[in-house]
Amino acid sequence: MELLIKNGAVYDPINGIKGDKTDISIKNGKIVDKVSSRALVIDAGGRLIMPGGVDAHSHIAGAKVNVGRVMRPEDTRAGIIPRTKITRPYTGYTVPNVYAIGYRYAQMGYTTVFEAAQAIMKARHTHEELEEIPIIDKGALTLFGSNWPTMDYVREKDMDKLAAYVAWGLLASRGFGIKAVNPGGGEMWGFGKNVSGLDDVVPNFDVTPAQIIVSLMKVNEMLGLPHSVHLHCNNLGKPGNYKTTLASMELAKQVKPSKDRQVMHVTHLTFNSWGGTNWGDFESKADEIANFLNNSENVTTDMGQLIFGSATTMTADGPVQYANAKLLHAKWGNGDVELEDASGVVPIFYVKQISIHAIMWAMGLELALLTKDPYKVLLTTDHPNGGPFVNYPEVIALLMSNKKRQEEIKTLNEAVHKRTRIPGIERELDFNDIAIMTRAGSAKVLGLLDTKGHLGAGADADIAIYDIKPDQIDPSVEHAKIKSAFSSAAYTIKGGEVVVKDGQIVATPAGRTFWVDASVPDQHTDIMMKDIRMKFKNYYSINLANYMVEDAYVTHPNVVRAGVIPVTAR
Amino acid sequence: MQTVTLKPRMEIMISVEAENISPDRFAGRTEKEIQSLEVWMGNRRTTIGELFSVKVEGEGGSAAADTEIIMEGDFSRVKRIGEGMTAGSIMIKGNVDMHLGAKMSGGKITVAGNADSWAGREMKGGEIIIEGDAGYYLGSGYRGETCGMRGGKITVLGNALDFVGEHMCGGEIVVKGNAGLLPGLSNNGGKIIIGGSTSRPGSEMAKGTIIINGAVDEMMPVYRQEGTEVVDGVTYRKYTGDVVVNGKGLLYVK
Ligand SMILES: [Zn+2]
Repeated sequence: MELLIKNGAVYDPINGIKGDKTDISIKNGKIVDKVSSRALVIDAGGRLIMPGGVDAHSHIAGAKVNVGRVMRPEDTRAGIIPRTKITRPYTGYTVPNVYAIGYRYAQMGYTTVFEAAQAIMKARHTHEELEEIPIIDKGALTLFGSNWPTMDYVREKDMDKLAAYVAWGLLASRGFGIKAVNPGGGEMWGFGKNVSGLDDVVPNFDVTPAQIIVSLMKVNEMLGLPHSVHLHCNNLGKPGNYKTTLASMELAKQVKPSKDRQVMHVTHLTFNSWGGTNWGDFESKADEIANFLNNSENVTTDMGQLIFGSATTMTADGPVQYANAKLLHAKWGNGDVELEDASGVVPIFYVKQISIHAIMWAMGLELALLTKDPYKVLLTTDHPNGGPFVNYPEVIALLMSNKKRQEEIKTLNEAVHKRTRIPGIERELDFNDIAIMTRAGSAKVLGLLDTKGHLGAGADADIAIYDIKPDQIDPSVEHAKIKSAFSSAAYTIKGGEVVVKDGQIVATPAGRTFWVDASVPDQHTDIMMKDIRMKFKNYYSINLANYMVEDAYVTHPNVVRAGVIPVTAR
Repeated sequence: MQTVTLKPRMEIMISVEAENISPDRFAGRTEKEIQSLEVWMGNRRTTIGELFSVKVEGEGGSAAADTEIIMEGDFSRVKRIGEGMTAGSIMIKGNVDMHLGAKMSGGKITVAGNADSWAGREMKGGEIIIEGDAGYYLGSGYRGETCGMRGGKITVLGNALDFVGEHMCGGEIVVKGNAGLLPGLSNNGGKIIIGGSTSRPGSEMAKGTIIINGAVDEMMPVYRQEGTEVVDGVTYRKYTGDVVVNGKGLLYVK
């Protein structure tokens, strides 16, 4: 099967193409240098072409996503589209059903999405849902930041055992990388406690969050994992937490990257760039975060942009969700994952006239606009925490148009003028910047640049064509057109197959699940497993044999090899 | 004024989703056009004309306000009549199934029989009169919603079952007879008047008023008694609460 896309205005930042008319040749699902004259031709007619979108942080599958669905039957009533001959039914807005997740991402031109947090023990559930999400490729980051074995090995300073545990945990969860959520604090929530800073000692374990973060980074680089440590900082949801965020990013300086990428990805900065000491003097410190990023090379971030209206907050950070539910008098879902972590789910409605929400809206935008290098700030809404992912086109339009931002600011609580810098920021991002923040940069941060995020030969043929002619539009003025074009791709091509045409789903192939098989010396695994067996015997409610995700749960795997032993030695 | 009369062509055994029976959908339409409006019977797509005889009299123009629907017969398996209507009237000479007048914002629905559960669910305005009995969740929010009825008025001449006005945020519900368990559960506004008896009223009420003229079988222990007060010439014991949620709700019991 050959395909030739002609006459597109291509934005492919990795290959240095900025709007040039470039033909794209596709054969057997991959991008190739050229195709035969028998190739099917799509004439893009001068319209915008980008690599398929890549989302490095979204909550699309697993236990807490489903708790959100169970807690919010009212959300299921939104966005219902009955089944057709091609598609199954869509339901939901903040917590859509599995089908709507795949279809809506594809309709926006996205082809790869990563679930940002799965506990090993809940990973079977995560994969059951990932399997049912149509079209897109996906993967899941595995929680390691509050696991008992992690904290034991950090205290014992045994990096070999920790590496063996991470490698085994990734296999057990068919996970892609290391996620740490409020390291140390998540587990303490099981005892009704929390940690309040990087150097606070976790009771019963005698380790600090800083030690956990640095050890996980070291092990991540020892194993040469494609992605870096992915960090949800301590003190999230508390005014003044930007100091903890900066101090956490400072820790990245202690570790050298094993590949051409960051050593730490700090996620959803809308929730941890908070200044002030209480809700009264709450203010944005996103400028300080941006300043740090402008002077550092090994940390990346994502926006976690706030979207006004309905959202569902869900995180492994159990204690912050208890505080949220109390503050908002909202429904509260609470979970404990035995020796691994906690979780919480709370619905929220973001309101333009509430000062805290207006200030938070500004934070994601400030971060993206004040950070010079778009590779350091990915576009996310931390779906569905800041808002549902279907609002990415709104965020793109806000980043590309100061006019749109000024129009929006007029409708917001006046605190946005005094407690943020957004009204005075004139920078407008261009299509190249957006292509970086939504595909090239996300693929680089995830360590997937060999096949994702660009249109060079050898890449997966994942391509989006949008109904905009870049040389005939002024995004600053015509921001509504930008938003509608990115909402509804003219074409989405996934693995060489047209899956969306004129905004409608036309095919629903199954996507693949990426996971990392990291090898460590057998003797390290053997001694580590003694500890694990002991923990299962003494503490876990389930048997070790029922713990691992089996191959039957991942029927379309894409295994990425890594490890401390060269791959060829296996 | 345009008058549309519907009569069932058969005994309806399988439930029908009939949100298209509404003055807003019928206004300005010919008999034929109304007959061809879609309804679902179970999992089968069908039309109003297949299930009901349709007779149109008079000229109404295109405004819902000038449209009157008269329904004669047994509609006890017909759901969602008048859903989302904004004006006009529906007169039902018989019983109706669930979700009567859900989300309606104006106009008037009269039922000369009984209405099943969820009548007036999430209603915003207008009026519903049920001359017989009402089922569960009269004027309530649907599953998971934090706001049920927001405005308008519902009157039930007979009895209502449990959860009258659950999550109600505004408007008024009058039940002349008895109400079941937990009227005004999780309320955040509005007024409920019960002529007869009920049990455990106003649990988790944050705001709103409940007046009970009959016996209260069981009071929730979450109300503070504040002496007596005269409302519309009647002396009631006055309670405030629910104290558990720092509620400002008012509960009057005779
Ligand atoms: Zn997240």
